[in-house]
Amino acid sequence: MGANMANSKSAELLPGTLDLLVLKTLARGQMHGYGIAQHLKLISNDVLQVGESSLYPALQRLLLNGWVKAEWGTSENNRRARYYTITAPGRKQLEAERQEFDSMIFAIQKVLES
Amino acid sequence: MKLLRRLNYLMHRRKLDAELAEEMEFHRSMNPDAPAVLGNATLAREDARAVWIWPWLESVAQDLRYAIRNLKRQPGFALIALLTLGLAIGLNTSFFTVFDAVALRLWPVKDPARVVKVLSQGKRGPRGFSLAEARYLRDHSKSMSGMVAMNDERVVMGFEDFGKASYVMFVSGDYFQVLGVAMHMGRGFLPEEDKLDEPVNVTVLSYAMWRDHFGSDSTILGKQVHMNDVVFTVVGVAAEEFRGTTAGNEDLWAPLPALQSISKEPDTRAFLRSPDNCCSWVAGRLAPGFSQKSAQAELDVLSRQFRNQNKLEPARVVIGDPTVLSAHPKRRTFMPVMGLMFAGLILVLLLACMNISNLLIARAVARQHEIEVRRALGAGRARIVRQLLTEGFLLALGAAAIGIALAYKLPGYVFAIAGDGPNVGLAPDAMVILFAAAMAGLSAIVFGLAPALHGTRPNRDRSRLQLRNVLLAGQVALSVVLLIGAGLMVEGVQRARHNDPGFRINDVSVISFDLPSSSYGADRITQFSTTLVHDLERVDGMRPFGVVERAPLGRSHWFTGFRLPGEPIDTSHDIEAHEIDSGYLDVLGIPVVAGRNFEQHDVARNVVLVNESTAKRYFDGTNPVGKSLIIGKRTFEIVGEVRDAYLNYLDGVGPQLFEPFSGTTTPNLLVRSSATGAVDTVAGIARQIDPRIRLRGKPLSDNLDEQLAGSRTMAGIAGMLGVFALILAVIGMSGVFAYVVQQRTKEIGIRMALGADASQVIGLVLSGAARAALIGLAIGFVAAAGVAKLLAEYLYGVSPYDPRAYFEVAAVLAISALAAAYLPARRATRVDPLNALRVE
Repeated sequence: MGANMANSKSAELLPGTLDLLVLKTLARGQMHGYGIAQHLKLISNDVLQVGESSLYPALQRLLLNGWVKAEWGTSENNRRARYYTITAPGRKQLEAERQEFDSMIFAIQKVLES
Repeated sequence: MKLLRRLNYLMHRRKLDAELAEEMEFHRSMNPDAPAVLGNATLAREDARAVWIWPWLESVAQDLRYAIRNLKRQPGFALIALLTLGLAIGLNTSFFTVFDAVALRLWPVKDPARVVKVLSQGKRGPRGFSLAEARYLRDHSKSMSGMVAMNDERVVMGFEDFGKASYVMFVSGDYFQVLGVAMHMGRGFLPEEDKLDEPVNVTVLSYAMWRDHFGSDSTILGKQVHMNDVVFTVVGVAAEEFRGTTAGNEDLWAPLPALQSISKEPDTRAFLRSPDNCCSWVAGRLAPGFSQKSAQAELDVLSRQFRNQNKLEPARVVIGDPTVLSAHPKRRTFMPVMGLMFAGLILVLLLACMNISNLLIARAVARQHEIEVRRALGAGRARIVRQLLTEGFLLALGAAAIGIALAYKLPGYVFAIAGDGPNVGLAPDAMVILFAAAMAGLSAIVFGLAPALHGTRPNRDRSRLQLRNVLLAGQVALSVVLLIGAGLMVEGVQRARHNDPGFRINDVSVISFDLPSSSYGADRITQFSTTLVHDLERVDGMRPFGVVERAPLGRSHWFTGFRLPGEPIDTSHDIEAHEIDSGYLDVLGIPVVAGRNFEQHDVARNVVLVNESTAKRYFDGTNPVGKSLIIGKRTFEIVGEVRDAYLNYLDGVGPQLFEPFSGTTTPNLLVRSSATGAVDTVAGIARQIDPRIRLRGKPLSDNLDEQLAGSRTMAGIAGMLGVFALILAVIGMSGVFAYVVQQRTKEIGIRMALGADASQVIGLVLSGAARAALIGLAIGFVAAAGVAKLLAEYLYGVSPYDPRAYFEVAAVLAISALAAAYLPARRATRVDPLNALRVE
């Protein structure tokens, strides 16, 4: 389940977190797989470098659950690329996972600060 | 929804996988400078693809493992569920096997979808064509690439058991070519063997006959066989899978013109040639580009032309699929019977499902803790329901296997017991297996879903009890319907067996003869009858005896039409006709109520007898003696009136007409069984007349039994279903009772501690279930009354509301309920208050 980070700098992501991150990224708008990876890398200051081997299973999982839709379009450099869009159930899921994640972080922090 | 997406993936797998590959390729090309970061591309793609299938497969496997473990832990429950459901599915599947074979499976010929049955719509349902018309249609039709006519005949080949005959189908010369039947060896018929005026005696044997009676002789071609003493040359053996096109057992085939070799009578010549000599069965193969509909339209026109030219009444042409039953004359009587049986069987299956449902609910109590634990660990309700349903499907799978195994054996066995059945391959085919699987799958959902949803409901309340009671009531109602239906039918058969048929049946024997018919024309048959009667009359103690064309309650019936003087010429009243001699009424003890019996020389005179029903209906109940009636162009004088008797059918007596026995057809002899050595005496006389004659005597009551065989089989099946239903109901009831006691152990303990006595406790605990059973009984009675009306035809005069059947069923169920309640009730009264309170 866990997203294996390819970069030695980064720690292992918490299980299921990659799905959350992808959903969150897509909530900003339509994007193709490479774009999602780039976006995550950019926003996280190169900490989150997501490889194909974890990104694409995650995307397929989201498709299977009906949280994202995919359609073919043309990329910036004029090539065929598959663009992902978040769906209404996807937004709901994002909200739910977000809350769960928050409470989890809160709990971990409490433990660490004790 | 997730399932749909998964299915969509499975269906478009290739395309979707290609898309994924392309997408990942794109990803790599965008990121050329970081090959180390990207892992093995193929592996990554595999991982991504696996998302669609693996987790699911894994969870299914997990469910299955879990279900197996669970069922193993409760072998008693698993066994009961498997057996009852397996039996119910087996019964349904067996039934479907027969239905499939006669109504759905196409003839075993080449490209059967292009073969059609061709019939003409007669007044009493579809029938065949005269051979002349069949030839006309074949010669002029463009929509048919070939048409064949068939006519069946019974012949004696010498190796049959006494009284049995072989079934030969006389067919058009190109029969095997048009139908595309493969030959096991040899050939079909040739055009020169199909010339009306030059019959050639050749025959093709069925595989079964070749195997069973000729020891699979590989040198059979060119050898000679005898049909009614006439020599035929074997030219071929048909492929094993071809059993012919009718419900009868087709043993061999011969060209139509050869009918004239078997029977030399002028009738046969006319039958082969005359335009109005009905009926032969006709089938054809559609020419390329023609549909059934266009062929029907064309044949309709051709038939009208032919009938116009020959001054015959026009009849519509009907086209049917090449199955045994399509457009079959008996279809109309057959279908409702099938429908009724199917309804009964579905009820049984439903009952079995309810039963398992109930047992599952009872088990759900035991599993409450387990389910709660699973929920607490985060399993969604849907997931748990799926797990429970998997158990159901596993059971259903086992039951389907039992069912299919049963369907392999049961139909043949039932037909063997009934001594009758269609000639069809009864091995279950893919259709049957599909049917069993569908039945099992549906059952799993029917019996599994309610308990699963029930057991996983977050808030449990008292309504669970109600569901159990609803199921119990339904079960009781269903078994009441089946039991009453069965009871009424059994009673009907019994009544028919013991009713007075209006003639002496117990001390009379029927002696039938096999004359070598090939060498016996009408003249010789008459001579035989006359000599026989003449010689018998000289034997002391033989009288009274009767010579008759058809014995009472035999399989064949004869109806004719008559009109009264003064009625328009096209009037025709249907009337049952019997050819009898003067001894007939005496030996059967049918009294003459007015006028006289036949006398010796009546054959030459135009005289008839009628029965009371005829007098009542056509002569206003007045004495008909001396009046006359007209059959065809001849006027007959009525010389006597006889008492009504059930000579043809057991369910009623209609108008009957008796003519003097003409002796032109092979006679049956009716003698008193008490006459010493009657059969030997007759055999001696017959042997003197012609040593080749064979004969057989049997009690007349055998005919009665044969008439009832169909109903008896039906009643037997209904009875079996009823008993099965009862067993299911008892299992169901005892399950419910036991469950109620288990549920309320604590309460019972408290009440006992407070001084309640045993009967109070039993009343308290079982009153709910008992009330449910009573309600079920009431519903069952109402439903049974409705169903029984549909059965009226098979009841031989027993009223569908016959109180005895209802009372008996109520009593049987009450006893069963008591039996079912006994153990749980005893357990309830033995509850030790202290132990009960300590349980939690």
